[in-house]
Amino acid sequence: MKRLFASITLIMLVFTMLLGMVSCFGGGGNGGDGGGNGGDGGSSSTDSEGNTIVKIMFHVDKSSTEGQAYQKRINAFNTAYKDQKIKAQAIFKARSAGASGYETELMNNQLEGTLADIITFDAPNTAAYANSELLYDITDLISEEEQNKFFSLNMYEGKLYGLPIQESSAGFFYNKKIFRDAGIDVSAYTAENPWTFEEFKAVCARLKSHGVTAVDMRIDATKDETAPYLLYPFIYAAGGSFVSADGLTAGGYYNSAATAKGFQFIKDLISAEYTSYAIGATDFFTGKVGMYLSSGWTIPDLDNKYRENFASRDDWGLLPYPKDVVAASATGSWSYAITNNHHTDKTAALELLKWMTSPESSEAITNATGMIPARKDVVKNYEAGSPEYTLLKQLEISGKERPVTVAYPTFSTTFNQVIFGLGKGNVSDLLNSAKNTLQDAIDEVKDR
Amino acid sequence: MIDTSILILGLFLLAFGGFAVYDLATAKRRREVYRVKSTVTAYLMLLPAVLLAFLFVLLPILYSLGYAFTDYYLLKPNDISFVKLENFVEIIEEISEKGMLYNAIKNTLTFVIGVVPLQIGLALLLALFVNRPCFGSKIFKVCFFAPVVISLSVTSFLWLQILAPGEGGLLNSLLGMFGIPPHDWLRDPETAMPCIIVLSAWQGCGYQMLIFLSGLSNIRKDLYEAASLDGASRWHQFWNVTWVGLRSTFVYILITVFIGACRILTQPMLMTGYMSHTVTLSYYMYNSGYTKRLVGESSAVALLMTIFIGGITLIQRRLFREK
Repeated sequence: MKRLFASITLIMLVFTMLLGMVSCFGGGGNGGDGGGNGGDGGSSSTDSEGNTIVKIMFHVDKSSTEGQAYQKRINAFNTAYKDQKIKAQAIFKARSAGASGYETELMNNQLEGTLADIITFDAPNTAAYANSELLYDITDLISEEEQNKFFSLNMYEGKLYGLPIQESSAGFFYNKKIFRDAGIDVSAYTAENPWTFEEFKAVCARLKSHGVTAVDMRIDATKDETAPYLLYPFIYAAGGSFVSADGLTAGGYYNSAATAKGFQFIKDLISAEYTSYAIGATDFFTGKVGMYLSSGWTIPDLDNKYRENFASRDDWGLLPYPKDVVAASATGSWSYAITNNHHTDKTAALELLKWMTSPESSEAITNATGMIPARKDVVKNYEAGSPEYTLLKQLEISGKERPVTVAYPTFSTTFNQVIFGLGKGNVSDLLNSAKNTLQDAIDEVKDR
Repeated sequence: MIDTSILILGLFLLAFGGFAVYDLATAKRRREVYRVKSTVTAYLMLLPAVLLAFLFVLLPILYSLGYAFTDYYLLKPNDISFVKLENFVEIIEEISEKGMLYNAIKNTLTFVIGVVPLQIGLALLLALFVNRPCFGSKIFKVCFFAPVVISLSVTSFLWLQILAPGEGGLLNSLLGMFGIPPHDWLRDPETAMPCIIVLSAWQGCGYQMLIFLSGLSNIRKDLYEAASLDGASRWHQFWNVTWVGLRSTFVYILITVFIGACRILTQPMLMTGYMSHTVTLSYYMYNSGYTKRLVGESSAVALLMTIFIGGITLIQRRLFREK
């Protein structure tokens, strides 16, 4: 009897396991047939008052300054579209576990058939999301005239999949006192007339001879997206690249001579001890380092903190990225996209997208975040020569997006590994290894 | 997926209910002390724990087991196909090509071999130290246990400051007082993993110390008195009384520390990032599943890792079985 019962229990457990496994193969979710959420078919959801509900998911906390700015624009939309009976609902999912945590939330929603009509997403994910049909093609829904008003667009294979919320750019913050003491004049170097790689090295050499660490290139920031975001323009400036135009080939691009030249420039700075992996996070702010590579988000820090070394804007300035073959600078931030969820009628979602990317919304949100507006027609009267002006002009003139590839996360990982290895490793070996890893990753996901 | 999960849960509950009914039905025949009310109460009290274990342990394992044989791509959760053993073939290829997975296995083994004896040895030493009645032993207990209650993220950041490169790092500035030049501890492949081993042993040994202490409290004092009367030295007392008394505690600690060590993720992730000299199996799985979004491949590695850990644990249990 005991043996019989044990057998029955075992059979039931095996059956349960098989069921679990089979469910994995069987298409998994209830959203696969487009039915998804509550059987409201292809049209948008409506509430009891007959309003069409459009859901929009943000990557920030509702209580944050940025979150509050989004909510205000949503409230304004609901007031403006009351007569058209369209109502927007904001969902806030703060990135508690980084961008991958937010992405997991998106995927769970897609699996459950509850994916919002509009989502925010990090621009480098455009290719992977578009390739996976997560995003809706809005090429024909946004006029060319309107598209031209943005500094950058979320394009993949010639199609438009998203519009940026705001823009970013980076540059070299410098300590004017250290530069004055070392007798270095950099006033000629502007976004319109950037300095060259050689001029950059010459300034570093003078700073070193003055007894300070020349520049914090952030080569230690290889655990996340910081190093790729700040350092990729050097490779483009040297004439290099990472992948082919279609984003599917890394060989011949990531390991090309021009790309190697860009990385070699960074390695030379390390070898000459102009920069190092050992620079402390606050060394620039405490006057130990001459220059600091960072994005616009450092401006409020320099304006409000570290008053001991930077009492006013007379004590610090911002220099553009140096150029070699061409000028290139960092761009990119988060964007909006309409999703390919079970609502086939995208009319209401399109209205909300247009509203959230309008000049008014762009201005309201960038006023809250301090970032550069995504639209060229949102004029901010920055004083010529000011850090904000330099960032904006640089974005206009030399802004270049990160590589568009379906395997962007792997690109980011390999870029970090190359920067990590530059100190002791051979550039060519590092790039060949990175090329192989990236190509494998592209091959694995391109047809999914 | 939710529907299937509910169905599986239903079947599991049916099996659990069946077992309870069978137990009730046969208890009388087995001539055990038989009370329907208390037996039913016992099973009802057991049910929440069993349910939670099923939902958060067994069910994810089942799904992971299934996904290991699929091409599940995180961005296409509704488009999953059965790919037979393809993921496992890729794993073997990556190991044979000495790719990142090879490094992950090598680093994980290095970590396990380093941290298990160090952490258990430290825990035993600390337990023996604080077990002796002396002034301030309670304060020492609290101090030694304190790192356990601090999250791994916090301790990792703390050790990042200690091991920071250049003269600004705490360890480097200390060594600098003796004329030793600064070293980049976490970038150097020779020193990065040993540093992570030391930090992990320091962080975790307080917990095992408490378990050893409870084991020590179960050893009768008169055994030491008898050994002492027989002229046994301190070492002989330790080896023939303390160690024998702690044997079952040691086996438990060995298995739990081994399993914990195999799963190391937070320290390399926060301290070095995804680098070949510190990547571990769990970190590789995380990167495959969440960064590269290849859930199928990640699940296959998880399955192999589960089999490996389970196998070693069984061997450990067999080797240390009471005769």
